[in-house]
Amino acid sequence: MISKLSASVRKEFLLLVRDRVGLSILFLMPMVLIFVMTLIQDAAFKTLNEKGIPIVFVNNDRDSLGMMVEQGLRNNELCSYSDSINGRPASAESAKQAVASGKFMIGIIVPAGATAAIRKSVEGLIEETINTDSVMPAESPVAQDSVEITILVDPVTKKSFLTSISSNLREFISEIKTKIMFQAFSEQIAEKIPDKAPVPKNAFARTQIIHYKEVYASKAENRIVPNAVQHNVPAWTIFAMFFIAIPLSGSIMKEKSEGSVFRLHTMPGSYLLLTYGKLIMYVIVCLVQFLLMLSVGLYLLPLLGLPVLVLGNSFWGIVALTLATAVAAAGYGIMVGTLASTEQQAAIMGSLSILLLSALGGIWVPTYVMPEEMRAISAFSPMNWALDGYYALFLRGSGLVAILGDAGKLFAFFIATMAIASIANRIKRSV
Amino acid sequence: MWKFRNELAIFTTQKMSANNIIEIKNLTKTYKQAKEASVKGISFSIKRNEIFGLLGPNGAGKTTTISILCGLFPPTGGSVFIDGKDLRKELEPIKAMIGIVPQDIALYSSLTARENLDFYGHMYGLKGKDLKDKIDLWLEKLGLSGSADRPIAGFSHGMKRRVNLIAGILHQPKILFLDEPTVGVDVQSRNAIIAYLKELNKEGMTIIYTSHHMEEAEIFCTQVSIIDHGKILTEGSPEALINSCPGATNLENVFLHLTNGKLRD
Repeated sequence: MISKLSASVRKEFLLLVRDRVGLSILFLMPMVLIFVMTLIQDAAFKTLNEKGIPIVFVNNDRDSLGMMVEQGLRNNELCSYSDSINGRPASAESAKQAVASGKFMIGIIVPAGATAAIRKSVEGLIEETINTDSVMPAESPVAQDSVEITILVDPVTKKSFLTSISSNLREFISEIKTKIMFQAFSEQIAEKIPDKAPVPKNAFARTQIIHYKEVYASKAENRIVPNAVQHNVPAWTIFAMFFIAIPLSGSIMKEKSEGSVFRLHTMPGSYLLLTYGKLIMYVIVCLVQFLLMLSVGLYLLPLLGLPVLVLGNSFWGIVALTLATAVAAAGYGIMVGTLASTEQQAAIMGSLSILLLSALGGIWVPTYVMPEEMRAISAFSPMNWALDGYYALFLRGSGLVAILGDAGKLFAFFIATMAIASIANRIKRSV
Repeated sequence: MWKFRNELAIFTTQKMSANNIIEIKNLTKTYKQAKEASVKGISFSIKRNEIFGLLGPNGAGKTTTISILCGLFPPTGGSVFIDGKDLRKELEPIKAMIGIVPQDIALYSSLTARENLDFYGHMYGLKGKDLKDKIDLWLEKLGLSGSADRPIAGFSHGMKRRVNLIAGILHQPKILFLDEPTVGVDVQSRNAIIAYLKELNKEGMTIIYTSHHMEEAEIFCTQVSIIDHGKILTEGSPEALINSCPGATNLENVFLHLTNGKLRD
């Protein structure tokens, strides 16, 4: 039994190493995918980070608000500040045209008299407070002058990116407005109540008692920082592992077409051993793929200036999840090879289903940006279970227990694929 | 008197059973979704150490019969006993005692001749030095020692046929099924294959042979059955069949006479 099984594994190994195209599909293709996808994603953010978001600023205010916004934008590393277009000072109209043509991603127009309007508003409020009786009117009778700051946006900017940028800008401008109001308020108080001590110089800073701290809720004590490497290496490794379905199903079909299966069916108990031999060999292939992909993340990507892949805290978690993913992928390949009737069928069925499962599984696009219906479907993709597991290990720093659910689902998927293959094989043979 | 006759009948049956390595009774096979049976209640037996030719035109039912005997699929009806074992109940021990040389080259083209034989030898339960010695012996006998470590893909058709033959006989089966073993090979390879098959038969191997090649069957087979439309038309030694057919000078004449000489699909 062991001798037959080892002969079957050895045969699979020899067939695999002699198939150079198959080998390149198995090992080079996923490595290239990791390189390309990680570099593209990293470069996209890096470009914006290094050069800054191109912003054109039109300051029609010429007072505190305009100047402080201008100063803030100039000092912000995320912004590539400009207040002129083609060597001429930017106007509301030229800024709009420049943003519309894609020259700038964002345009900000602060209207004339914006600071004065804020000051006037504060002045009116204080005047009203001091001169009225102790009973407050239900509504303020004083009409407020509104200040409208225009934020122009390049129409090709992605909605998610725009939301993030505009919310940051609003927060930034709002802080400046509050500062101006605070100053105006202090000045007015000093003027109206001269016998009071002056407002301390650092009074505004003292009012800023609420601070925000963003911390990734990882169990790995802040060692793991989400980045293109942490996301892409596990995602494309899973894709590569499931991609073995194509050469594996192709090898099953080739055996059928070359007549080896005919001979093997006439041998005592050998067809089952043949399947086990394939299973063992391709699980080994998956494990080698995994190690190679990890090596890319650990050693090669850092050479290109990308962050080093951090593996989390759980060695046994990685082992369990990788084994479960490998058997699920090999089982899927055996099922495709058994269900297909020709090599072409196996190739098309294998490649299309892998692409579909990977798209649903969140390999190409994260599942959280998918519509609700698609998210519900993606919960049935084995690649999604594997990805969830690796994210738990690599991003959340979780341990073995956290991935047992996903590993269990993958193992159940393997059992299901083998059962389907076995039933299909019996049906096909019962002529 | 009656008791004596009954005992004689039992003795005769047992003696016949002991001589026959394969006994087929009322064998039928109707494929799923087929309107007509491919094999229609045929009965015949094959003696030990015989070279038995199952001859017939395309679609006659010979491949179906051989496939059932090899355990590829079960019959629809009838019984098959191989070396005293019921095919329906004891398939695994039967599989261990048979060898098959299919018409298609059932080998892995990217593996060498030695690697192919090593794999199939292991699948038949051979291993170690015994397997290596047998591989070397047969490669030497069939003139393939010099090419043993080259991939099969680069072999001529005749060389592939010889390796295909070795893969079926490496484990020294009691019964060897040959499906067109010499189709598409040159005269030298054919002569070598036939010579070694006869040598194996002399050593005690029963051979069941199917072919369209009547001249080869006439020289090679000791017993022949001609099958058509799922029924056995005649059986006997090639010589007896030729003599029983008026005007026939060879087996091909007998074959054409019995199968009407019409074109088949």
